[in-house]
Amino acid sequence: MRRPSGVLALCLGLTLTMAVTATVTAGCSGDGDRTTLRVLAGPDLAVLEPLLDELRSETGVELAMDYRADADTGEGLADEEGNAEGNEEGNAEGNTAGRSRAERNGGGRNGGGRNSDGYDLAWLSTDRSFRLRHQDAARGMPRTPTMLSPVVVGLRPQTARALRAESGTTRLSWADVADAAATGTVRFGMADPRRTGTGLAALVGVATAAAGTGGALREDDVSCDRLRGFRSGQRLTAASTRDLLDDFVARPGTANALITYESDLLALNSGGRLEEELEIVRPEDGTVLADFPLLLLDPDRRAAYDEVVRWLRKDSVQREIMRTAQRRPVNPAVAREGSLRAPVGNALYFPDRPGVLERLLDDYGDPRHRVADQVIFLLDFSGSMRGRRMADLRKAFADLSGADPSTTGAFARFHQGERLTVVRFGGRVLEERTVTVRGQEDLRNLADVVARGGYGDATALWTALDHGYRTASSAVADDPRRDVAIVLMTDGENNAGIAYEEFVRRYEARSAGTRTAVRTYPVHFGDADAGALRRAAAKTGGRMVDARESSLSEAFKEIRGCR
Amino acid sequence: MVGGPVRSRLRRTLALALPVPVIGLVLLLFSGHLALPLDRVVTIEAKMASKRDFFEDPEVRRILMEHGFRLNITRMGSRDIATQDVAGYDVVFPSGQPAADLITRDRAKAGHPVLTYRPFVSPIVLATYREYAETLRDAEIARAQPGGTSGGTSGGASGPLYYRLDMEKFLRQTSEGKRWDDLRIERHGVRNGNKVLAQTSDVCESNSGGTYLGLVSFVWHRNNAPRGLQEADAHARDIKDLLNEQGLPGSERAETYLSVDGKGIAPISVIYEHQFLAHQIRYQATHGKPDHGRVLLYPSTRFVTEPQLVALTDDGERLGELVTEDPELQHRAMELGFRVRDATSDSTSDRLAAFLAERGIQVPVTSADDTKAVLPRLPLLERMIQTVGECPPAQQDAR
Repeated sequence: MRRPSGVLALCLGLTLTMAVTATVTAGCSGDGDRTTLRVLAGPDLAVLEPLLDELRSETGVELAMDYRADADTGEGLADEEGNAEGNEEGNAEGNTAGRSRAERNGGGRNGGGRNSDGYDLAWLSTDRSFRLRHQDAARGMPRTPTMLSPVVVGLRPQTARALRAESGTTRLSWADVADAAATGTVRFGMADPRRTGTGLAALVGVATAAAGTGGALREDDVSCDRLRGFRSGQRLTAASTRDLLDDFVARPGTANALITYESDLLALNSGGRLEEELEIVRPEDGTVLADFPLLLLDPDRRAAYDEVVRWLRKDSVQREIMRTAQRRPVNPAVAREGSLRAPVGNALYFPDRPGVLERLLDDYGDPRHRVADQVIFLLDFSGSMRGRRMADLRKAFADLSGADPSTTGAFARFHQGERLTVVRFGGRVLEERTVTVRGQEDLRNLADVVARGGYGDATALWTALDHGYRTASSAVADDPRRDVAIVLMTDGENNAGIAYEEFVRRYEARSAGTRTAVRTYPVHFGDADAGALRRAAAKTGGRMVDARESSLSEAFKEIRGCR
Repeated sequence: MVGGPVRSRLRRTLALALPVPVIGLVLLLFSGHLALPLDRVVTIEAKMASKRDFFEDPEVRRILMEHGFRLNITRMGSRDIATQDVAGYDVVFPSGQPAADLITRDRAKAGHPVLTYRPFVSPIVLATYREYAETLRDAEIARAQPGGTSGGTSGGASGPLYYRLDMEKFLRQTSEGKRWDDLRIERHGVRNGNKVLAQTSDVCESNSGGTYLGLVSFVWHRNNAPRGLQEADAHARDIKDLLNEQGLPGSERAETYLSVDGKGIAPISVIYEHQFLAHQIRYQATHGKPDHGRVLLYPSTRFVTEPQLVALTDDGERLGELVTEDPELQHRAMELGFRVRDATSDSTSDRLAAFLAERGIQVPVTSADDTKAVLPRLPLLERMIQTVGECPPAQQDAR
């Protein structure tokens, strides 16, 4: 079947004069002798710059890297695709928030075609944001992972010891980190999740652990913000990983932990910029990995793209990447070296709903401008609360003060900086006490208020709620950015003070600011009137939880972070 | 219209007039063969998914070169191959029948009927690690395959390479929200708080993902495939959560599973049998024994995928004939873990079994208890894929 001999056909042409054999191959792949590809690049790729010269000399392909701080958000890419493939919108179906946003973004630009920016490839630390927010543009786009790094925690040795002592375990989890952040033991730096792949991966990791389902995050899991305690430990933030590391080094007293790529921590440890190396903790409950994908944006540059991909995944190049960037090779033939021999741990399932990401990011807010939250607990101290019910209430406060050892407890606990107001009421308001949490001492003071008996003889439910709104109004007036929530716990029906209608009348007379910012979360307990509580919740935009089937502890945990 | 290289199909037949040493060099580069006489080399433009494993194999490339073929392969998922424009390509090689059917149907409708070739087949499997398989065995969700025909080191002390997975029980774990820790995987020295499930490639893009979807639906509905549109929609809704629990699908499954960190990042992955066997054959060649850490779960409800090489040009047809007929290529396919059609015994797996046994690699066996899954008719499967994956319909429109 073999073909007869004859003339060999090849495209050597101009490349003939070149000495490098690999260049000959590149020339023959159909893209001419020299090729330059414009690359939209994430800042985390800059560390590979030294390899790019080798790439050029060995394949004839030059990558012109345009590092953009926000590359990982995928918005720059979406602009590209929005321009180039605006005709794809006919395919859009389904109606996720992310997709409609993608269309707005794409359609809103009038860049006059792909060549306005002219990127041929994109090389990011992660394309998850892009794939979620711009599903149509991302669909079918060739992508090749080039290396791996998980987002993990680096701790100063002293902090690692303290954290282990506090959590009583050697196998640390995100829950342990969140718990220690809430108490102030861990003060961490993390890049802004709205702008960087690392920050987002860390946020998803922590939120997945907080939800504690073992699955990918769903809308239900993020309907309330469980990360307030964790967040209260953040001391450093930055718009890029590199800035974060620089800041961490320059201000050694500010933070004692870093949440970022394993590769960043390894580089920091070997870079001689720290007095003591950071201990790397790969949280027990799993991490999110980045795979640094190379994406082909312009299908016409496929041959050159394939060439680059082939080169990047060669054993020798993968080994060099590992040594240069401290990232894990994707090529299984390349043996791990040094610290990279440590097992990577379990990968968490990453959410596939754009709405989940948006919600997480909205809740996380701007790390630079944190305003402490306030919770106003309105607690029924009528006579019927004596005994068992009061014991439950005290336990619920103890649990929120750190006694609950569960994962959800670690995330839901009171945290430093948080303002807590306790109002005891019976036939009238008996006592109001506000603390700003700085340490366990403040939580003990709060526990004392709850422990200090003094029961009333009736239940002035709506008077108490009206009182709560007065306190909330002044908190909102002090700082309109402050999140205020009211928790209304009662075991009986209203039988004293103002009627519900009067409460509503006063509520509606309050400022619009108060009415939109402050919601009420009634806790149904004992013989309370569920219908009335549900009405109050609906009126104020809150939600009622039932503590009769579970416990006050569980009910309080369920509404922590809701607003 | 998306995709499709603007650069038209390349079929370079250029005269060569070069100094002798350079010719030698070039021949080496292209074939690894010095004394190779050729009158012309046809460059085939191809789109492939997982079956590029075959065409990217150096030995296969060498054999094809001897026959005057050189391949330029664009890699993408099987469903993407079918849903994007095929203009400018000589062949496309989706990993299974559904994607191939999409293409052949559309080509026929457009008045350009095409020929297809089926050089080999491979079952869909769940690839995992010893600790996970043993945890499933403890829970009576999986059981070891009899080590029977294997020779040498396999079976015995190092444990079986293959297990039979009770699919219904396995899916039940996912639907109940069970986690690996709940199944007490720590007894095997592993901790994992993630839900029990198999990770797949994107159902919108890949054949393995879409096939697994069909398999799951078949099992979940007591061995029934939907027959009508309404039933297909209902079935798809029933299994949607089972399949989407894994969240955003990661990149290429087999590669992730076989990577050094596979046990942590892809402990159970839906791949093809040939990808696993190719790994074991390679591993055995280097280490002198099979990789006993990585094992296969054969679903109790089986499905054998039939990759189809769709020829879009005359050159494509010649290539299709060659890979189906050429004994050397067929033999190499077997060495790469594929079940090839055997002209003499009418069996697709006897030769592979003998080949594995020779190397001391346990031979997988089919159990008589196993059910063969039936996939829904193409338009229904398409519709289910779109429902579960929330993906856009095939470009040429599925109806």
